[in-house]
Amino acid sequence: MKLIDALWKDAPLATRGEITPKLGFLLTVLLAIVWLIPFLWMGVATLRPASDGINAMAELMPSLKPTLDNIRDAWEIGDFPRYTLNTTIICTGILLVQFFTITLAGFAFARLNFAGKTLIFYLFLMQLMLVPVLLIVPNLKLVAQLGLYDTLAGVMMPFFASAFGTFLMRQAFEAIPTELEDAALIDGASLFQRIRHIYVPLSMPSFSAFAIISVTSHWNDFLWPLMVINSPDKRPLTVGLSVFTKTAEGTQAWGTIAAGTLMVIAPLLVTFLIFQKRFISSFVTSGIK
Amino acid sequence: MLFSRRLMLGLAMAGSMAGALTFPALAGEGPTEIDLFFPVPVDGKLARDMGTLIKEFNETHPAIKATAVYTGSYDDTLIKTRASIKAGKPPAAVIMSANFLLDMQIENELTNLDSLIAADGTTKDQFLGQFFPALQGNAVINRSVYGVPFHNSTPLLYINADKAKEAGLDPNKPPQTWAELTDWAKKLTKREGDKVTQWGIAIPCAYDYCGWMMETLTMSNGGRYYNEEFGGEVYYDTPSMLGALTWWNDLVAKHKVHPPGATPGPAVSTSFISGNAAMMMLSTGSLTYVRDNAKFAYKVAFIPRNVRNAVPIGGASLIVPAGQEADKQKAAWTLIKWMTSPEKSGWWSRATGYFAPNIAAYKTPEMVDFLGKNPDAKTAVEQLDVAKPWFATYKTVPVRKNLEDEVMLVLNGKKQPKEALVAAQKAADETLKPYNAETSLKLP
Repeated sequence: MKLIDALWKDAPLATRGEITPKLGFLLTVLLAIVWLIPFLWMGVATLRPASDGINAMAELMPSLKPTLDNIRDAWEIGDFPRYTLNTTIICTGILLVQFFTITLAGFAFARLNFAGKTLIFYLFLMQLMLVPVLLIVPNLKLVAQLGLYDTLAGVMMPFFASAFGTFLMRQAFEAIPTELEDAALIDGASLFQRIRHIYVPLSMPSFSAFAIISVTSHWNDFLWPLMVINSPDKRPLTVGLSVFTKTAEGTQAWGTIAAGTLMVIAPLLVTFLIFQKRFISSFVTSGIK
Repeated sequence: MLFSRRLMLGLAMAGSMAGALTFPALAGEGPTEIDLFFPVPVDGKLARDMGTLIKEFNETHPAIKATAVYTGSYDDTLIKTRASIKAGKPPAAVIMSANFLLDMQIENELTNLDSLIAADGTTKDQFLGQFFPALQGNAVINRSVYGVPFHNSTPLLYINADKAKEAGLDPNKPPQTWAELTDWAKKLTKREGDKVTQWGIAIPCAYDYCGWMMETLTMSNGGRYYNEEFGGEVYYDTPSMLGALTWWNDLVAKHKVHPPGATPGPAVSTSFISGNAAMMMLSTGSLTYVRDNAKFAYKVAFIPRNVRNAVPIGGASLIVPAGQEADKQKAAWTLIKWMTSPEKSGWWSRATGYFAPNIAAYKTPEMVDFLGKNPDAKTAVEQLDVAKPWFATYKTVPVRKNLEDEVMLVLNGKKQPKEALVAAQKAADETLKPYNAETSLKLP
């Protein structure tokens, strides 16, 4: 109850004194607790010794004799530092190139006039409707022809341009008043200077919202890296982790799975906790909820 | 004489020098490097065992350097293999789910192994004679060898012997017919009011597993799941399959002795180990896990029959994808023969619970000793006498999912068996249409 009281004080002023917002707030707290349970379970299961038996595995109560065996097992099965490094390289590599491409493409669709602009824009958006699995074979063929099979660059390449990102930046740029650009134009700023000093700084929330979506989706991507990568030392986290979760005919060692999952999400979780406020505000201001 | 001796000596020296000069160049080429794609159908620790196996191979075969590439589930492994063939980067060998071989052969994605067998100076019959006859249906297509059985399974009935005794049942006389099994399941189900605290039986139904269990039940109900000789026909809408699905659904909806909904394999084994389900139908591939984790006496038995005793084969075979260079093909063949030898085949069987496809594996001293201590490992081998090939058609995965989607709807209480099977048949016929148009419906 103390926790609820503490949370209550953090509730926005407008919600005090009225009934419906209060209910809404309680519902949010309730949802948060439900959302938290799998995380708690993962933490508890990670530390539970196998000797507790499979029965205890489903319990949320921590074991009386916590153990680090599961973490050691998971650590031995997979080269987690290497997997984390690979995933980090893939995600940041994709994001850096994406920033460049979506800024220019978004600007072109928002501010430049050229023949067939609307048609091209809709074609661009249609890419959002395609299931990525459909493109595996053609993409892989191209990656192999470019000599990028079994390389991290091969994993990144298909995502360098992003239809969603282009759409997001177009919306953000369109919301910026043209007067600002006109003023810069009078001062003699070139096209790239205008993008760099007016459009980019004013669209920061949209950039960070896009960064979060891009990083988490590529952090979690499994099938495409599985297709491109053969060498064990180039595996990203998801492929490394699935060695003990993708069982078909057999059974599962839940403790090891929990430990492995924890290792995979830990970097993202820590980043989120550090930048929490900024993450949330970027979603609020960019209009994605 | 002296002169010529000196000359010979000089020649020999020159020869050895030339040898010394050329030798490093040869060594510089290094061993033939090959990739082996492997799925992990069982516990993750076996990925480490696979690493151990390949390491041993590389140490004993210096001319070859094999790398084990983990490729996800059976279905993911098929996608990755296909994509890599199309991208022109096929691996040298793959551990491929045995029921995908026909589909891959139809698409020209497999290397015919006949010439490699002939090059060893053996005949096809001698080569295949090493393996249990029941496995050949999934390895031989049009009288040519396309796969070498590596680890194989049959479904089994697992019984919690302690709970059976508690309920007044004799675990040494396991149920042999569906009627007896239903009776056992009723006696083994415990209820508190409307709530079930212990289920009588659990049968898994998740993608891949669901189709396999439907084939098991259909076969023991006297039927066939598909045309074993031709890849364009499945028999979803038949009395034998309707009977099988109705019985499964009755366990759930009518008798309430089977947990409702489509349960994945790991959840089934977990609830068996925890005592939450007193019996389960599961692959022999889970046997080692059950042996290591069960804190109670358990029994394994044949799958009970309604009409006849029959089970499908499961598991995986080693294949060589099409489009591989000749020297890599040869290296892959050496690896395949080594992995399926009696010793290695037996070692993998003891580690996993899969049975060893190589008959001679059961004559090795390690295996005789192991079976003496673990007689439960014999059941799957004994059941091979009534085993038949695993479902294989053109586009195996979609055709299988056409049925699985409908079976899941039935187990979730959203459809009746008959309408589900009619829908599954219709969807499968549609999926198989292009192949039939090219083969059975293409009239001269």
